[in-house]
Amino acid sequence: MTENRSRSRRVLGVSLILVAIVLCFFTPFLWIVSNSFKPQLTIFADVTPLSWKTFLPVHPVLENYRTLFARTNILHALLNTAIVSAAQVALTLVLCSMAAYALTRIRFRGSKVVFALILLTFLLPVEAMLVPLYQVVSGLGLDNTLLGVMIPWIASPFGLFLLKQSFEELPRDLEDAARIDGAGHLRTFVSVILPNVKVPLLTLGLVTFLFSWNSFLWPLVIAQAPEIQLIQVAIAQQGSPTQLPNWGETFAGATVATLPLILLFLLLQKYFTQGMAMSGIKG
Amino acid sequence: MAQVRLASIGKTYEGATANTIRGLDLEVQDGEFLVLVGPSGCGKSTTLRMIAGLEEPTEGAIWIGNRRVDGLEPRERDIAMVFQNYALYPHMTVAQNMSFGLRLAKVPKPEIRRRVEAAAETLGLSALLGRHPKALSGGQRQRVAMGRAIVREPGVFLFDEPLSNLDAQLRGQMRAEIRRLHDRLSATTVYVTHDQVEAMTLADRVVVLKDGRIEQQGTPQELYDRPATRFVAGFLGSPQMNFLAGEVRQGALDLGAGLVLALPPGHALAEGRKLDVGIRPEAFAVAAPGAAILSPRADLVELLGATSLVHFSHADQPCTALVPPAQAPRAGAVIGLTLAPDRISLFDAETGRAV
Ligand SMILES: Nc1ncnc2c1ncn2[C@@H]1O[C@H](COP(=O)(O)OP(=O)(O)OP(=O)(O)O)[C@@H](O)[C@H]1O
Ligand SMILES: [Mg+2]
Repeated sequence: MTENRSRSRRVLGVSLILVAIVLCFFTPFLWIVSNSFKPQLTIFADVTPLSWKTFLPVHPVLENYRTLFARTNILHALLNTAIVSAAQVALTLVLCSMAAYALTRIRFRGSKVVFALILLTFLLPVEAMLVPLYQVVSGLGLDNTLLGVMIPWIASPFGLFLLKQSFEELPRDLEDAARIDGAGHLRTFVSVILPNVKVPLLTLGLVTFLFSWNSFLWPLVIAQAPEIQLIQVAIAQQGSPTQLPNWGETFAGATVATLPLILLFLLLQKYFTQGMAMSGIKG
Repeated sequence: MAQVRLASIGKTYEGATANTIRGLDLEVQDGEFLVLVGPSGCGKSTTLRMIAGLEEPTEGAIWIGNRRVDGLEPRERDIAMVFQNYALYPHMTVAQNMSFGLRLAKVPKPEIRRRVEAAAETLGLSALLGRHPKALSGGQRQRVAMGRAIVREPGVFLFDEPLSNLDAQLRGQMRAEIRRLHDRLSATTVYVTHDQVEAMTLADRVVVLKDGRIEQQGTPQELYDRPATRFVAGFLGSPQMNFLAGEVRQGALDLGAGLVLALPPGHALAEGRKLDVGIRPEAFAVAAPGAAILSPRADLVELLGATSLVHFSHADQPCTALVPPAQAPRAGAVIGLTLAPDRISLFDAETGRAV
């Protein structure tokens, strides 16, 4: 009896902590979404005193969304971001999986050194690389292009590391069996190796997508021309520098930008959490 | 038409200091079932993988049929291999696993279907063709691995310890099945194992490897009856052969502790020569007190069912005798034993070679 009670007390405690955590993360988001349905004046009127009105639009309006889509080229920015994210995911998967396969399975002199050098770049913060990266990419004539936005991140050391681990967990006999069956390197890679690392591939794809979709600093630096602006930059820059920001519109933009991620998350939740656990990145 | 010939094969792995295989000459006749045995690390897998083409020899040449194959890819060698852990493709069904090689070789679809169905029929896998490997038992996976080899209709089958992941009962069953399959297909087979029971029961010919060299080869019976070295004698046979230190004294064999045997017929040995005397456990027989030539105290008696194992020591050396359960003593009791002189093997105490 007493054991049962202490058990249920523990469950209750854990649940309370979880609820608190969820509230911490969810409240600001709820605030953003609900306020995107309020006129600018109401937003600030509702902040104090804190009440349910702060978080729920009493008379929801679509005005913010209407002006957002009418006044800014947010649709275009969304499209740009979708292109960049999708291409970045595809290219990262192709490049990292092939590099990881070569590094795990093809014996060549210096493969360890190559791997160490690649991992080394993982240790540098993006901010530290910003200036040299800009010089290189604009030197290639890729500034203000979508390719220039994604190209530095395609060869992802994290992706290489993740896939290399997964490849190493596959038994080598599989490849020996494929060789006996008459498969060359490429056929083995495509027909035997890749189908057995679907989960890590999906995970890497999702993490890359998230990273790409939410990226701000690099796109801000390299892609300033309005026609190739990405969504996060577009939201941040929608007001002109001389004006006060229109918060309702900003919130509407943030909501629109988050929607695809939420849909993706609901669809592939399982792999998302796995990816987070594997990468140690928090959203 | 696929005999296999290895000529002066040597293999040194990259980065290794010692060579794994040294000057290995080996011939496997067409249709022969050859078993390679030896202790762990003696180079059995290495040898097999060189025949398969998964490793290249550092020196020497390999022929399959009348083609020289070293340097060729596995697919050009007319071989199929079964791995210890089966190495089935986890994402493919049983049928896809079996047909992968044929599909790569662009064999026409109806022909693939015919061969897969025939192999599945032979191995009792017909009902499982649509399953994935993870939904199969160990024995079924083993069968799929064999099916994958069979459908390719190779000249040479290579097995690397294919039964070592199965439990004892299933192992016995699959052993019989492999032998039956061989009798049916009569394809040349090289089979690696460190299980001497498999070696004895399956082989037309056994090759015992030690440290990358052939220690002895011959039919299982030859190796059992006339081991060329102490190593082979100890390796084959279960329970293991007993070894007692002996010395030639006055034309007889003195085994210490008062046990003196006549020299086996045909042996004339120098006085004072030191020998290791090999005695199979079944060479002992229980004798009446008057007729016994040794009367040790039984330390431990193990009942195996049809026979009993009596452990005792002779001149401080452990020894076992295999006796009928009805004649087995209780532990701690004294047992009278005799030994026929023609049932013993003599090895030089220093070189380990048979004398
Ligand atoms: N890829 C390799 N690189 C370096 N050394 C190797 C390699 N493969 C095997 N060896 C060494 O070669 C020797 C023989 O190995 P092999 O696998 O042929 O032994 P085995 O007889 O099959 O043993 P087991 O019964 O344990 O399977 C061992 O000492 C092993 O450490
Ligand atoms: Mg081995």
